[in-house]
Amino acid sequence: MLRLTLAQMRRSLGRLTAAAVAITIGTAFVAATLLAGNAMTRTTYDAVSSQYGGADLVVSEGEVTDRTLAVLTEVPGVTSVHGYRETAVEVAGPSGQTVTPVTAPPQDRTLSGTTMVEGSQPTGPDDIALPPKVAELLGVDVGDTVRVTQTVYVVDSADAEPEVLSEDLTVVGLVDAPGAAFLGTGGVSLVHPERLDTWMDLQDPESTTSWFWYALVSVSPDASLTQVQDSAHEAIGASAEVRTLDEQARATTEQITGSADQLTVVVLGFAAVALLVAALVIANTFQVLVAQRTRTLALLRCVGADRSQLRRSVVLEALILGGTASVAGLLLGTAVVQAALLVLGETATDVPLPTTVSITPLVVLVPLALGVLVTVLAALSPARAATRVSPLAALRPADAPRTSERSGRVRAWLAGVLMVGGGLGLVAGLVASRDDLMVGLGFGVLGGAVSFVGVVLGAVFWVPRLVGLAGSVLGRRGTAARLAAANSVRNPQRTAATSAALFIGVTLVAMMATGAASTRTALDKTLSEEFPVDVAVGTLGDGSDSLGLPAGLRSTVDGLNGVTAVAGLTGLVVDVADGQGAVSEWVTVRGIDAADASSVVRASEQVDGLGDGTVLVPKEVASWTGIEDGDELVLTQVSPPEEGAAEAAPATGSVALEVTAVLTDLPGQALVVTRSSLATLDPGAPVTRLWIRLDDDGSSTDAVTAITAASSETGTPLETTGAAVERDFYQRVVNTLLAVVVGLLAVAVVIALVGVTNTLSLSVIERRRESATLRAIGLSRRQLRATLAIEGVLIAGVGAVVGALLGTVYGWAGAQTLLGQLSPVALTIPWRDLGLVVAVALVAGLLASVLPGRSAARTSPVEALAVE
Amino acid sequence: MPGRDADAPSRSLRSRSIDHRPDALGDTPVDTPAPQAPPATAPAAPAVAVRARALTKVYGSGEAAVHALAGVDIDFAAGAFTAIMGPSGSGKSTLMHLLAGLDTASGGHAYLGDTDLSGLGDKELTRLRRERIGFVFQSFNLLPMFTAEQNITLPLELAGTAPDLAWRTTLVETLGLGDRLGHRPSELSGGQQQRVAIARALIARPDVVFADEPTGNLDSRAGAQVLSFLRRSVRELGRTVIMVTHDPSAAAYADRVVLLADGRVAGDITDPTPESVLAGLDALRSLDEPLAVR
Repeated sequence: MLRLTLAQMRRSLGRLTAAAVAITIGTAFVAATLLAGNAMTRTTYDAVSSQYGGADLVVSEGEVTDRTLAVLTEVPGVTSVHGYRETAVEVAGPSGQTVTPVTAPPQDRTLSGTTMVEGSQPTGPDDIALPPKVAELLGVDVGDTVRVTQTVYVVDSADAEPEVLSEDLTVVGLVDAPGAAFLGTGGVSLVHPERLDTWMDLQDPESTTSWFWYALVSVSPDASLTQVQDSAHEAIGASAEVRTLDEQARATTEQITGSADQLTVVVLGFAAVALLVAALVIANTFQVLVAQRTRTLALLRCVGADRSQLRRSVVLEALILGGTASVAGLLLGTAVVQAALLVLGETATDVPLPTTVSITPLVVLVPLALGVLVTVLAALSPARAATRVSPLAALRPADAPRTSERSGRVRAWLAGVLMVGGGLGLVAGLVASRDDLMVGLGFGVLGGAVSFVGVVLGAVFWVPRLVGLAGSVLGRRGTAARLAAANSVRNPQRTAATSAALFIGVTLVAMMATGAASTRTALDKTLSEEFPVDVAVGTLGDGSDSLGLPAGLRSTVDGLNGVTAVAGLTGLVVDVADGQGAVSEWVTVRGIDAADASSVVRASEQVDGLGDGTVLVPKEVASWTGIEDGDELVLTQVSPPEEGAAEAAPATGSVALEVTAVLTDLPGQALVVTRSSLATLDPGAPVTRLWIRLDDDGSSTDAVTAITAASSETGTPLETTGAAVERDFYQRVVNTLLAVVVGLLAVAVVIALVGVTNTLSLSVIERRRESATLRAIGLSRRQLRATLAIEGVLIAGVGAVVGALLGTVYGWAGAQTLLGQLSPVALTIPWRDLGLVVAVALVAGLLASVLPGRSAARTSPVEALAVE
Repeated sequence: MPGRDADAPSRSLRSRSIDHRPDALGDTPVDTPAPQAPPATAPAAPAVAVRARALTKVYGSGEAAVHALAGVDIDFAAGAFTAIMGPSGSGKSTLMHLLAGLDTASGGHAYLGDTDLSGLGDKELTRLRRERIGFVFQSFNLLPMFTAEQNITLPLELAGTAPDLAWRTTLVETLGLGDRLGHRPSELSGGQQQRVAIARALIARPDVVFADEPTGNLDSRAGAQVLSFLRRSVRELGRTVIMVTHDPSAAAYADRVVLLADGRVAGDITDPTPESVLAGLDALRSLDEPLAVR
């Protein structure tokens, strides 16, 4: 039987190759995902273990105090112990300042997780070693001094000033932590233990116990590690974990890569979609291979093959195909990841990436098993069809093989129930998400998945109908179109499976695109409300000291690239009082022209109430002043007391402004009135602040940099705040995620297109005699090719259009479920993306028909006369 | 549709001229032999629909070359029902393929009317088949997704011409398909399918209909019926039919039987009977030499 199977496979090599491509892509996807996950875990492990230096044991996760260290030192076999602790300090140099974590180097240098790049370790309390990047930022080198500030906020005394301890320390070296870049810590600075103790004491002066993050233990090479581990554990009791370096690194890696694993799982989900689509393509291919071989199979039955032998032959063929394709996929996936590692290794020098992929049994077995399993499962139903071939079929004149049979009523019902039930689940999810996001999400995801399964199951009912409908519209345009329309519904199951394969991918792409677009809109709206002003530039200590902005800054900013609008705001401090005397607070008030306000503020409804006679009261101000909407307020200018005369009574202005409070969602802690209102309080109030609106083209970062540069060039200390960069960042995150996801799903679409080609070429083979007949009675070659092209476009087009529609609904429902709590999500249809997807599918359907079309056009009309 | 009206005026002219005498026996096509046509035909003889001159077809080359046709000269009269017979491998199918423009000759010429097929490209041949040739196949070759009626009118659709309703009705009535027009091929018996195929072959009023073993897949009763229809289409509707068959009783329905052997014309029987055809075939088997019967 094996010989026969192989012989048959050789005869259908081209067809099988096309099917194999689908499986290869799917398994390559799985393999690459697993390998990438592995590489990520290994990078993390390396980075994590490097921070423990050459420690043999790590004591952590519990109380690690100076007493623990003392106990550990006594454990036989322990050669040295280092307690690791860290605090954060602010360091300032000539060119900048930053906050750096700082620790003390261990006495035993082998326990050190850091290496000196330059200079030496701190030897005295006035020494410090900085990570190279920090030194570069501060503009210092070995031998220079930096100002180090430790700020301590004393708990339980909210009004008290923070305690600040500033020292000038000498940079004695540059220190590098190998895993730092990957772990995102940016390295750690080193100071003498005495210095660290001083800072630590400052934080908790009462305490007599020193607390450590973890303890590193070095074990004598003569002692048994396990024995020492056990006795150390006994010595310190259950207060902390004693782990070997490997155990510790594994545990920490697990914590860190927990999210990375989730990512792997998500990507594997996409791989599953790709494999599912591949399964549809495979099932299709085998169905037709069996149909094509009806005669051979019947002949085999005539000469004595029994049913199970025929089934085994088909399954064996699937096994061989799946195995070969999966191995190819495994190799492809490995090659892709290896290539990616090489490229990344060249470009991203910061991250200690492994140079080669790490092949584990899992990485090899999972893709192989999945590939083979999917192929064999997909071939089961065609294998059953093979057993149904009657021996008599060998004796009958062969007609075009027909696989069309009425699909069961059960299937129709099941599909209907799933669709309706899933749809209800989707709605339930939407409703439930108002109260409980997780419950809503659960319902939504389940409902979406179930309804989608229903739609796919029901494909055999609706796809041919839609194709027929589309075909009957097209069919008026000529014979080729009419033939194509008639052909495309001849085998409803195959058309449905082909179209479904494509439509799964398209639905998911459309869903992601719509979801992302809706999310983006909702996010934009939320960001606009949260951060209505893109960038604000103001004098420090804003308003209170009546310091105005440097002249000319406004026009400079206005002329910068990426700046849409600029508004100047005058500012001063006022006493706010309501008529009853219930409220009396000092608040900064800013003046801005109503027209300017609506042009620079993104959520313009927040400044709608601005006018002469009203004052905008941000919610935050309202909460601590007790002002309510509609309150009549009296604003009086307050001159702040002279410096150093804190106890002196402040001078109050003589002019009072009576205004009505309008509560708004405007963030911030300053009242807003019109500029003319403010001028009545103090005609000489300076412009203390600029509100700047930027273009929406994503160039915010550049614009903000330019604004900051322009501000610092004035020489006046100015602060620049705003959410433009954050907005850009969020949008980039959404866009990047979308691009990645769409890229992943595109794989499924590519596989589906392989399926379309496959189906069309199978049709060509099946209809060889029909094509010849048509040629004999006068169909031109071009018409024959057009027939196939139209058929391809019909199948692909219906899949793409339905997928796009369904995906839009799913995407919107998903965004609504996820974000509905936050703000109502308007249905945002990403026309461009959807159009692109549909266009790609149509063009692909057309392209898919090229090769089959050529082979069909080669059919000689003589074949119509041939009798098999 | 390319070439939809390129040839239309002369076509419709010819069609109309036939319309006026739909049952004229021996109707002569408008095409007259070209002056430079070979002198094999006597001027008084009925017009020739299809003609072969020194027609050869060789498959393979060198040692392995097989001469399927080794120089055939033959005329097929218009308005006649001619059968081509011969043992397997005699070249009868090859001859038909070449005469119908389905295959290209290795040498010599095949004429349809006065059109030399050997000089035509695929496009011209396609149009020729669409407009001037009809086919009836052994396996009927109806398109399974179309109804009988759609199958019948398909050639007109391909040519982009409107169906001649009167002619269609004549065909449907003659072939007894009136109550079967809405059925798909799978719902028709073999005989009915072949009758639909005959209607399809005749719908565009081709100059000649080629029938390749039209009864090969039919029982004898249905076969007899189909053959009567082919004969009626010649005698009553004025068509020209060339049929390839290996069944002497089928060949006896024809006006003339041409016998082929080893790629050459080996005999010619006019007004054949099953007996005379059998005798001719026997003569082919018993003698190596080509034999002219009668």
